[in-house]
Amino acid sequence: MDLLASEWIKIRSIRTTWILALGTVVVTAMVSLLGISGLMADWHAHLPADFDPTGSSFKGILVGQILIATLGAQTFTSEYASGQIITSLTIAPRRAVLMATKVAVTALVALATAVLAVACSFVVSQATLAAAGLPTADLGDASTIRAMLCAVGYLVLTAVLGVALGVITRSSSGALAVVVTVGLLVPALAPGLPGVVGDIAGTYWPTTAGQASYTTVDAGPLTALAGFAVMGVFTLWTTLAAQLTLRTRDA
Amino acid sequence: MPQNPSSLQAHSLVKRYRHLTAVNDLSFEVRPGVVTGFLGPNGAGKSTTLRMFLGLDRPTSGAATVGGLRLAEMPHPMRIVGAMLDARAVHPRRTAADHLAAVARAGAVPRSRVAQTLGLVGLDDSANRPAGDFSLGMKQRLGIATALIGDPGIVIFDEPLNGLDPEGIRWARSLMRGLAAEGRTVLFSSHLMGEMELTADHLVVIHHGRLLADQPLSAFIADHTTERVRARTPDRRGLITALDRAGLEAVPDTASPDRLDVAGVTTDHVGRIAAVAGIELSELSSVRESLEDVFLTMTSTQKKAA
Repeated sequence: MDLLASEWIKIRSIRTTWILALGTVVVTAMVSLLGISGLMADWHAHLPADFDPTGSSFKGILVGQILIATLGAQTFTSEYASGQIITSLTIAPRRAVLMATKVAVTALVALATAVLAVACSFVVSQATLAAAGLPTADLGDASTIRAMLCAVGYLVLTAVLGVALGVITRSSSGALAVVVTVGLLVPALAPGLPGVVGDIAGTYWPTTAGQASYTTVDAGPLTALAGFAVMGVFTLWTTLAAQLTLRTRDA
Repeated sequence: MPQNPSSLQAHSLVKRYRHLTAVNDLSFEVRPGVVTGFLGPNGAGKSTTLRMFLGLDRPTSGAATVGGLRLAEMPHPMRIVGAMLDARAVHPRRTAADHLAAVARAGAVPRSRVAQTLGLVGLDDSANRPAGDFSLGMKQRLGIATALIGDPGIVIFDEPLNGLDPEGIRWARSLMRGLAAEGRTVLFSSHLMGEMELTADHLVVIHHGRLLADQPLSAFIADHTTERVRARTPDRRGLITALDRAGLEAVPDTASPDRLDVAGVTTDHVGRIAAVAGIELSELSSVRESLEDVFLTMTSTQKKAA
């Protein structure tokens, strides 16, 4: 508990944390809004059969995930950059405990951030859809609620993934490069890969699977919850790998 | 064998990297109540050794322990051992007070220690400034505060006098001497012999990762320096002859035509010989080679041997 309180003081006492948290909320909502505005004319002309008013509200997560992952990564990378990690490891020499504590504190901040980001993104998107006379999401529908929860969960998992990547790369730019590759580049390029490779990568790539969990229209062979589980397992393994790295490497 | 709970022990400590053996079979013990200086030229393996004591780096073989324990085996290590390895190792955007509050909380140390420790190092007025705005000297003080906040029985400082102004150096010296006088174990490293002479009671000297000396400063001085008598006279040739008759070998100073050195003798004795021979002396003094010279000779001969 002492270490948890200590890490809480650390994360709250640097402005970067709050800039990234606020950035995640604003960027997620803005990009969702822009995505809807850009497609509104097409939708008016011809509404696709699988139109998903819920999933459309969360397009901004594609960019928001980068910011929230950076928030997670910098809990370690800022310490490696400044050398503070030496002090942290001297004070808390049980490295697995230190990492678990940082993951917990990050998850807590990320949870609050994600709830706000998802709520804002949903509200502005639905308002825009309603104003344009397009179908809106039904909050009474269980799948809408499930999609919102998965969207929150996805952002929290991305933040935890960020912590793990921060440990492994020890550098903010390194962690950022991996996050952009895993979260944006591969999902964008994978479906273009030929044949079965493209099919598998386009479905089971962890972030792609995770992003499918906050839609309400089944897009592929994975159910929403199975997609979320893929992302969860991937995050867990990366976190365990990071923990092993932290424990075995010289500080 | 019972371990002293507040001493640092290195047992056959080895740290090997792919192309370099940084620490090579190092064994020594750092005891409480005295200031121990850890001396060696840059790259001698000092920092690596200190990092192994703190569990930051893993020894290739051997052990570096604190009272026989590793840090990970202690519930609150910062109450046992406090360290400052790198003064710049603090988040630049966090204020000094927040930094210390986080450290204090991790060791379940009362929050009142934050203000107390800031006062101890003289940073009361800068408590709410981000550490990134601090001068190197102020960062040293913050680093020392970080080490001391848990009131540890053992303190380890890596190059604590670096970047301090003369007033700061005097402050850090008296702080370390005070900590030792309270019965704490104090280990500080430096690559400058001059810093040791005024601060350390005991010396551990390493070079190329090997132990060169582990003894009290006074014994080190006695072992490695010789006292000589230096005389200056207008009649150097005459004095050399007179000394020779008394069975003493004078070494003429090549840099100065009227000066000579004699080893293994007192100033009284040389003065008497000169008086009897009727030789005028313009200077008569006792000199020791500087420890800096001893250290340089030590480490350069060691280099040739290696």
